[in-house]
Amino acid sequence: MSLFLLLETALREIMAHKFRSALSMLGIILGVSSLIATMSLTAGIEKGTRDFMEQIGGLETVTVGNKEISADKMDFWNLSPGRTLMDAVAIRASAPLVSHISPEMNHGAAVSSGSITDRKLITGVWPDHFTVAKHELAVGRLLVDLDVDRATRAAVVGDSVVGQFFPGKRAEDVVGSTLLLNGSPFVIVGVFTRYERERDKARRDLEARNKGSTPRAGVPKWRFDRSDPFRRKNEAILIPLSTMFYEFKAGLFPLDAMESVRVDTLTLRVSSLDRFREALEQVRATLTGTRRGVDDFELETREEWFDRMESSIAATRLSGGLIAAIALVVGGIGITNIMLASISERVREIGIRMAVGARGRDIFSQILVESVSVAFIGGVLGIVAGFGLIELLKVVAPQENPPLVEPSSILLAVGFAVSAGIISGIYPALRASRLEPIGALRYE
Amino acid sequence: MTVARLEEVTKVYRVGDQEIHALAGVNLVIEEGEFVAIIGPSGSGKSTLMHLLGCLDTPTSGKMEICGKDLSRARPDTLALTRNREIGFVFQSFNLLSKLDVVDNIALPLVYSGVSAAERRSRATKTAESVGLGERLRNRPTQLSGGQCQRVAIARALVNNPRILFGDEPTGNLDSVTGKAILEMFCGLHASGKTVILVTHEQSVAETARRVIEIRDGKISREYAP
Repeated sequence: MSLFLLLETALREIMAHKFRSALSMLGIILGVSSLIATMSLTAGIEKGTRDFMEQIGGLETVTVGNKEISADKMDFWNLSPGRTLMDAVAIRASAPLVSHISPEMNHGAAVSSGSITDRKLITGVWPDHFTVAKHELAVGRLLVDLDVDRATRAAVVGDSVVGQFFPGKRAEDVVGSTLLLNGSPFVIVGVFTRYERERDKARRDLEARNKGSTPRAGVPKWRFDRSDPFRRKNEAILIPLSTMFYEFKAGLFPLDAMESVRVDTLTLRVSSLDRFREALEQVRATLTGTRRGVDDFELETREEWFDRMESSIAATRLSGGLIAAIALVVGGIGITNIMLASISERVREIGIRMAVGARGRDIFSQILVESVSVAFIGGVLGIVAGFGLIELLKVVAPQENPPLVEPSSILLAVGFAVSAGIISGIYPALRASRLEPIGALRYE
Repeated sequence: MTVARLEEVTKVYRVGDQEIHALAGVNLVIEEGEFVAIIGPSGSGKSTLMHLLGCLDTPTSGKMEICGKDLSRARPDTLALTRNREIGFVFQSFNLLSKLDVVDNIALPLVYSGVSAAERRSRATKTAESVGLGERLRNRPTQLSGGQCQRVAIARALVNNPRILFGDEPTGNLDSVTGKAILEMFCGLHASGKTVILVTHEQSVAETARRVIEIRDGKISREYAP
């Protein structure tokens, strides 16, 4: 029997019993649609997480943190100067595997422009900061070594700052404007691009399309969304570290001892992940020197954190896949069940086919093709239903990360459906093919 | 040429722990072109004999040769192939597939001999016309009368041009007029050279044939020419 004829016969059989076929497809439809939905949900989460990881600097980033000193070594504590600018200078000088080192000094300052004044956190940085924090410039320029050497009054600001202090102005128009930080005039030399999550971008695009106008990126309505991981980056006001020291911190430390100034954070980036451990060793050795042997620091890598994220993604995927797999197994059992019922209804037909010369394998392939066809049609309907389910989920439970339907998941779903059809069809097909022609012909 | 040769053929069925000897040593030779009727009361073993001659079953012991092939120990696939090529069945209850129309029903044996769709169609149509169903090609069996159904069954039995045509009580479900017409078709087929074997319990039907074989208790009890 040719495959075409087998398919035709199978489709005729399916169409002849529409309700029964629909029932046997139901399990597959549910299984495939939940498979598609969970896979695209996890794919969306995964993509969002990876994007976010990328945004915050990836695995190469290491933070120098403080460590509690054990009680018996308390006496030595005073020997260590703590996390100072000296650390950064020393790492830059003697840890060649560290490509960037970014000391930061924060200061809460009254920021004003025109009639608008607000208290904001301003941060003094080295040019390395832009690489470590993965900042992207929209217009103007970044701070350079010269700004740090000369302690210029230059500032690079985030997109939200433009929106707040220069309402209605575009980023391009703000470059060159003056911003008062605790009364001192600073020139804005550059503005960062707007950092946002996929869903915010999508929403903004949608709103823009609805209004038919270009959106003002700077003043989004959801600016105060506390859960936005990019909020701090968008609200950044960055000035040279030296300027920060001379302008805002000079009173607190001896002027000639800038290197003994404590920094609030110290973040570095290793040049290559392949030599990550080695790089950490270099940093550790250097810092042991600057801290005079006191073990009061620790190197916080993101490795563990990333591992945790990865494993939670894997767990989500596994549980979703498990649910879908169970649904597919149940669907397969449904097909088996209904195929068995349909065979016992068609014993006579099988007998007639055998009497005119059908071999066991002809009957076997007829039943198998039928069950695979049921599963395949169910799979296709399941994909359609899966897309519907995803749309429904988007409306009912908006996700941080929009679901992402990958072609591979569609292929996988069809593959699973067809396999379910094959597996569930084998037993009924075998039973049908082993019928005795005489008994089958006599069957009433 | 000999189309069927049975030598000391027995067939034993096992029902529970009881053995039923349906055939107990049958010797029979049927030559090509013969018109044979097998007659006997129910339970005599005539159906079993027909199943063996029709390659639906193999004997428990003895030798069975159909169309020159020894099928005494044949595997089911070999039997299926022989049924497909050499044998055509006409049953009492027609045994048509209600899902298929007349042409597709007639073409069913061709499906299993690997004939292309176009050829299946043309051969089935031609055979349908030869049994007088030219007007009914697209009808389903449920839309046909009993006599027409049996014509479809005859056409299906003939479509692969087999050597032996079996009729298993072919007139059993028909009124006497239609039954007579069907029997005349069998006679006509015999006249055109086909080997015809009728299985019946009706004397009048059996006597249409040239050779009558009477079965009783699993043995050939009498053989005569009417």
